[in-house]
Amino acid sequence: MKFKGKSWVVPDDIDTDQIYHGQYLPVTDPHEMAKYALTFTPGKENFPNEVSEGDILVTGKNFGCGSSREHAVICLQYNGVSCIVGESFSRIFYRNAVNLGYPVLECPGITKMVTEGDEIEVDLDSGLVKNLRTGKTITGVPLSDVEAEISNAGGLLEYLKTH
Amino acid sequence: MPGKTIAEKIFSRAAGRDVFPLERVWLDVDLAVVRDFGGPNVVLEYDKQFGNTCPAHPDKIAMTFDYQAPAKVTKVAENQRICREFAAQHGIKSVYDVQYGIGQHVLLERGRVLPGEVIVGTDSHMNLLGAVNAFATGCGTTDLTAAWKTGKLWFKCPPTFKVIVNGSLSSPTGAKDLTLFLMNKIGTDIANYRAVEFYGEAIDNLDLAGRLTLASHMTELNIKIPFFSHSPSVHSWLEERAGRKIEPIEADADAAYEGVLEYTVEGLRPVVAAPHYPTNVLPAGAEGVVGQKINSGFIGSCSNGRIEDFREGAEILKKAGGKVHPDVRLIVTPSTKEVAIQMLHEGLYDIYMEAGAMVTNPGCSLCTIGHHGVLPKGDVLISTSNRNFEGKLGRGGIIYLGSPAVVAASSAKGVITDPSTL
Repeated sequence: MKFKGKSWVVPDDIDTDQIYHGQYLPVTDPHEMAKYALTFTPGKENFPNEVSEGDILVTGKNFGCGSSREHAVICLQYNGVSCIVGESFSRIFYRNAVNLGYPVLECPGITKMVTEGDEIEVDLDSGLVKNLRTGKTITGVPLSDVEAEISNAGGLLEYLKTH
Repeated sequence: MPGKTIAEKIFSRAAGRDVFPLERVWLDVDLAVVRDFGGPNVVLEYDKQFGNTCPAHPDKIAMTFDYQAPAKVTKVAENQRICREFAAQHGIKSVYDVQYGIGQHVLLERGRVLPGEVIVGTDSHMNLLGAVNAFATGCGTTDLTAAWKTGKLWFKCPPTFKVIVNGSLSSPTGAKDLTLFLMNKIGTDIANYRAVEFYGEAIDNLDLAGRLTLASHMTELNIKIPFFSHSPSVHSWLEERAGRKIEPIEADADAAYEGVLEYTVEGLRPVVAAPHYPTNVLPAGAEGVVGQKINSGFIGSCSNGRIEDFREGAEILKKAGGKVHPDVRLIVTPSTKEVAIQMLHEGLYDIYMEAGAMVTNPGCSLCTIGHHGVLPKGDVLISTSNRNFEGKLGRGGIIYLGSPAVVAASSAKGVITDPSTL
């Protein structure tokens, strides 16, 4: 699976309250969740209005630390963010993404080679990321076997229908 | 073949075969818990995917309402109702409604969490149940939906670090100070995705409340699950709650560890975690910390909501003059109904309320913005909770973390105060 899009960059240790604040936890409609994506991340308060379908989120280390809320993944998904490439992810966020069949790529070094707004290309299967502005490439760590099977099936609940 | 760590033993039992670190396996789940946050999302997804078909094991499902208890907005009230109706429809008996308190603590008190079990829940601090050597982990709503339907879930078996903590603590330095000290030393990187097994004199001496404090902070270090040295007193408490003999689970002497970390807490003085990271730990008496004006204090949460914590806070409050500073709002929240009743019997409600503190009903309280006591911009809170992330309790609110002793001393003085200087 390949994605090409404009990048948004956030720093290390963005926690789930910054991605999707606790005050919106009672929400159960994913379209409504999308309205609050990243609105507590400094400098990204207006993200849901500015993001475009197919954009790619590039994150620092430990992205998604904090709460187990799956809203944090869903709110990005429903804004049309096509995939997330991060220095590293917090465990539950990563797991939730896999379970939703939402593309994530762990890619140490990514924030050093992408400036916000750069167009990048991500090959999820090989882990190759290319910055189309600079021409530089870097290789991340693709999903392992079980995770890839679940994600490629479209998520855990789809996977269970055939396994 | 080398012996097994605690994580490897639990995984091997639940998978029905030998499991090794980094293997992905499907495990039988002993208990799948939802809260009033996450729970309604699970129910709605379950209904959408599986209609009226029954969960695999209704007796292995529990619901705990502690996010906003009782509900203050109708959306949460509706969410709680969605959960109750699902439980009634499918014969799920373990619904611990708004009066019970913090889910993990309620489940522990009711003998529903035993060493060696595999437990999942919609709370990132589920892993505090590692305090009794259960393998418990926070999951999202998709995971819980799948676990309810099938009784199984996929996991990666974590490698294990052994952490040895030497030395002894002397009051008013306690389990929270030991915890914050270790948070700062271990950091968020080195044990990422690892299990840890805690050993050493300082760990052996921790009672259940102290183990819960330490275990409830592991998520902030990206540690998947903590386990602890065998404690005869914790074990007999568990047997009493379960109403039967239970097998302890311990690592084999020749288990293979990814690494060993060793620390000493001898001579440790009270500390705080300064904004905005739980690992940003400084002595409570350090320049720039001591004397920091505070607006609120909070004693409670899944980290420090046990009877031992409230005894400690009350003792220090009395020592500091017995009154909360007129500029400070001190909120005190027992973790569970059982703790609240014990506080009543011991006269702790009187001490706190006569001092000018506010004692609220059991629950998660000031750990989430769903509760009372949230912060306006610029206000400073000193809290026994486990997170001080920026904006957590309101945009522009500032949070320090510390022990019940530090919170009580600071609330009495109106400024951050090292309780050992009282």
